[in-house]
Amino acid sequence: MSDATIPQQGARANNPARFRRANDESPLARAILILLAVGGLGILVFAPLAAVFTEALKQGWAAAVASLGSRDAQSAIRLTLTITAIAVPLNAAFGIAAAWFITKFDFRGKAFLITLIDLPFSVSPVVAGLCIVLLFGANSALGGWLVASGYPIVFAIPGIVLATVFVTFPFVARELIPVMIEQGRAEEEAALTLGASGWRTFLTVTLPNIRWALLYGTLLCTARAMGEFGAVAVVSGKIRGQTATMPITIEMLYNEYLSVAAFSMAALLTGFALITLTLKTALELRHADQLAATRRH
Amino acid sequence: MHIDIDDISKEFGTTAALTPVSLSIPSGALVALLGPSGSGKTTLLRILGGLEFPTSGRVLFNGQDATGLTVQQRRAGFVFQSYALFRHMTVFDNIAYGLRARPRKERPPKAEIARRVNKLLELIQLPQIGDRYPSQLSGGQRQRVALARALAIEPRMMLLDEPFGALDAKVRKELRQGLRDIHDETGLTTIFVTHDQEEAMELADLVVVMSMGRIEQIGRPQDIREKPATEFVRDFITT
Amino acid sequence: MARPLVQRSAIPGLGLSAGITLAMVSIVVLLPIGALLVQGANFGIANNWAVVNRERVWAALFLSFRLSFYAALFNLIFGVLLAWVLVRYRFPGKRLIDAAVDLPFALPTAVAGIALTALYAPNGVLGGLAQDIGWKIAYTQWGIFLALVFVGLPFVTRTVQPVVEEIETEVEEASATLGASRLHTLRHVILPMLAPAALTGFALALARAVGEYGSVIFIAGNIPLKTEIAPLLIVIQLEEFNYDAAGAIGIAMLVISFAMLLSINLIQIWSRRRIGHV
Repeated sequence: MSDATIPQQGARANNPARFRRANDESPLARAILILLAVGGLGILVFAPLAAVFTEALKQGWAAAVASLGSRDAQSAIRLTLTITAIAVPLNAAFGIAAAWFITKFDFRGKAFLITLIDLPFSVSPVVAGLCIVLLFGANSALGGWLVASGYPIVFAIPGIVLATVFVTFPFVARELIPVMIEQGRAEEEAALTLGASGWRTFLTVTLPNIRWALLYGTLLCTARAMGEFGAVAVVSGKIRGQTATMPITIEMLYNEYLSVAAFSMAALLTGFALITLTLKTALELRHADQLAATRRH
Repeated sequence: MHIDIDDISKEFGTTAALTPVSLSIPSGALVALLGPSGSGKTTLLRILGGLEFPTSGRVLFNGQDATGLTVQQRRAGFVFQSYALFRHMTVFDNIAYGLRARPRKERPPKAEIARRVNKLLELIQLPQIGDRYPSQLSGGQRQRVALARALAIEPRMMLLDEPFGALDAKVRKELRQGLRDIHDETGLTTIFVTHDQEEAMELADLVVVMSMGRIEQIGRPQDIREKPATEFVRDFITT
Repeated sequence: MARPLVQRSAIPGLGLSAGITLAMVSIVVLLPIGALLVQGANFGIANNWAVVNRERVWAALFLSFRLSFYAALFNLIFGVLLAWVLVRYRFPGKRLIDAAVDLPFALPTAVAGIALTALYAPNGVLGGLAQDIGWKIAYTQWGIFLALVFVGLPFVTRTVQPVVEEIETEVEEASATLGASRLHTLRHVILPMLAPAALTGFALALARAVGEYGSVIFIAGNIPLKTEIAPLLIVIQLEEFNYDAAGAIGIAMLVISFAMLLSINLIQIWSRRRIGHV
């Protein structure tokens, strides 16, 4: 790229600038910029990451592992995995349907629809939780009726799922739409003229083309779903052993000064995050050509 | 200004882009570097412009060693194959760029910059397009703006890399004459790179045929056509 | 003749895909946000205004916005620097650094919150160092700023990186052949080319920071009028089952979010018009 091939000979030059190509910064400027980047990221990102694990292991492995074995901790882990297992497939299905609808058909109001799908990115998670409470809470007409019928949403699992789907709403669709626009409609149309059914076309033509983008979006969605805090804090009611997810449990433990327990659970969530990050990086390295051109999230 | 290329070689890693070549270009000449891709013609042009540095050898401007001059010090009007216009600037700002980039002491006053830019717009016969952005121009217009931008710095020579490469056949013919006219008007030593032998023969006073990092032949178009010095030149100009 | 709502198409699945999409958008986005607006309408404009127009609420909104702005500004500068270094330079560990930029997206906000607090509290490693020079970070506005920088870190870098990759080297070379110094080229050619993407990233980081809750509340100290952020006020009202007040503050925040979303779109339209693409 911009790496200069430095001439070995030609030492006749009395001007050192001769060895620098037009597009290169001076070695000193380079070194300073790299140092700032690495140093800044070290303080801002690597230090907190290290802090999670050192705090968790302050009293040794045994204490950390034991704290994760408690009944409340186990129930929090189960709940978070359950919520993720419901919210992510829901979102993936929505993302595929929305991307299909938006890229395969021309209709009025498309731009507005895309804005609506993007909207959750710009709404505070706390406001999202508030909206759900106002819609389904016991004091609203709809919520009151649902509670009376035995299907409470707020302070129960459906509310947490809904909050999680809200905050992760755009991830899959946003990843799929650019990829499907780029690929156009010709391949699907070809399959149809060859007599394939709609489902067959989708499964054998579209899906193979979008699988890496789908996986990518799903990964981002999973990371966010497991870690969502603000929206869930509002709708869950924070009932220990029932609606306390892992992030909520971290908050409760931390506020009770149970530092090792809080950081042990945080370390476990961080482990999940690092796994998704690794998978995501691997995808970017190996299948960059089949992902959306601008990877923003 | 006359230019001497004295035993210039260039290696990229282990591959040799130029085996030592020497060439003397008289002041005011219009020279074509002609050859297939990979012949080293663009590398030679970039070495003259100060965008690459030779592994060995010297470049002389008017007999003085210019090898160590930075690209900024060379004051070569360079026209890139892609034109490399600044997309976020108007045509006017593109052409004025080199004058405005000068250190404060040498920078002409605002009115003088405007006068010179407008004069150049007239020279390229596009006096009305100063306010437009490059994305609003046709390919031929972009090429002429790139030419004007390079001329604005009062260059000591003009260096053009495949100046007609990105244009369709009809525009290409028109602009050839345009380049010839500008050359005759300014009298600047002008060197352009091309892989199109017809273009080289029609436009240049002096044609330098290159292949695989070597100079095969230097001569006037008719000499090359009538007396090709090597097998390669014969093949290349007949295809 | 009016344009039909949906153009006819040979591709199947219109009913199914439209059905799922519209149902999900309605249930997940439209109805909940509608509920907030209906709540606000029922409560009345005067009452909503009375809730928001209190010193504590103004202080929180202003604090959230001001610190978010500073954090996004920091991220604008640092993010452009990071994007440049990651694309242009080679150095050991570059791949790790590149991957680490995304960590704030992947790390749960509550985890980030307690980790930053542990690090920057007076008895933490970095907080202790800062304490020695009389600089309190955790439980002050500095702590909030730091948390907001953390959550907004990837936005600018990730929007600017592809643009840096796309800059043709010839454009920089052209600038040099015209006599411009490297610094002049950076200022007048490269930075303007990065500006639209950088501004988009800035707006995204700002929008994210204004609504951020999880990573901030642990390190903020949450002292009314001093270190209390706007989303926390909503949570406090909800814990007291004061839905009217929570709704009023929620609407205020929603208005701010919409304004920022609009500005992002305007930036993109503006840059597309000037440069031909984003």
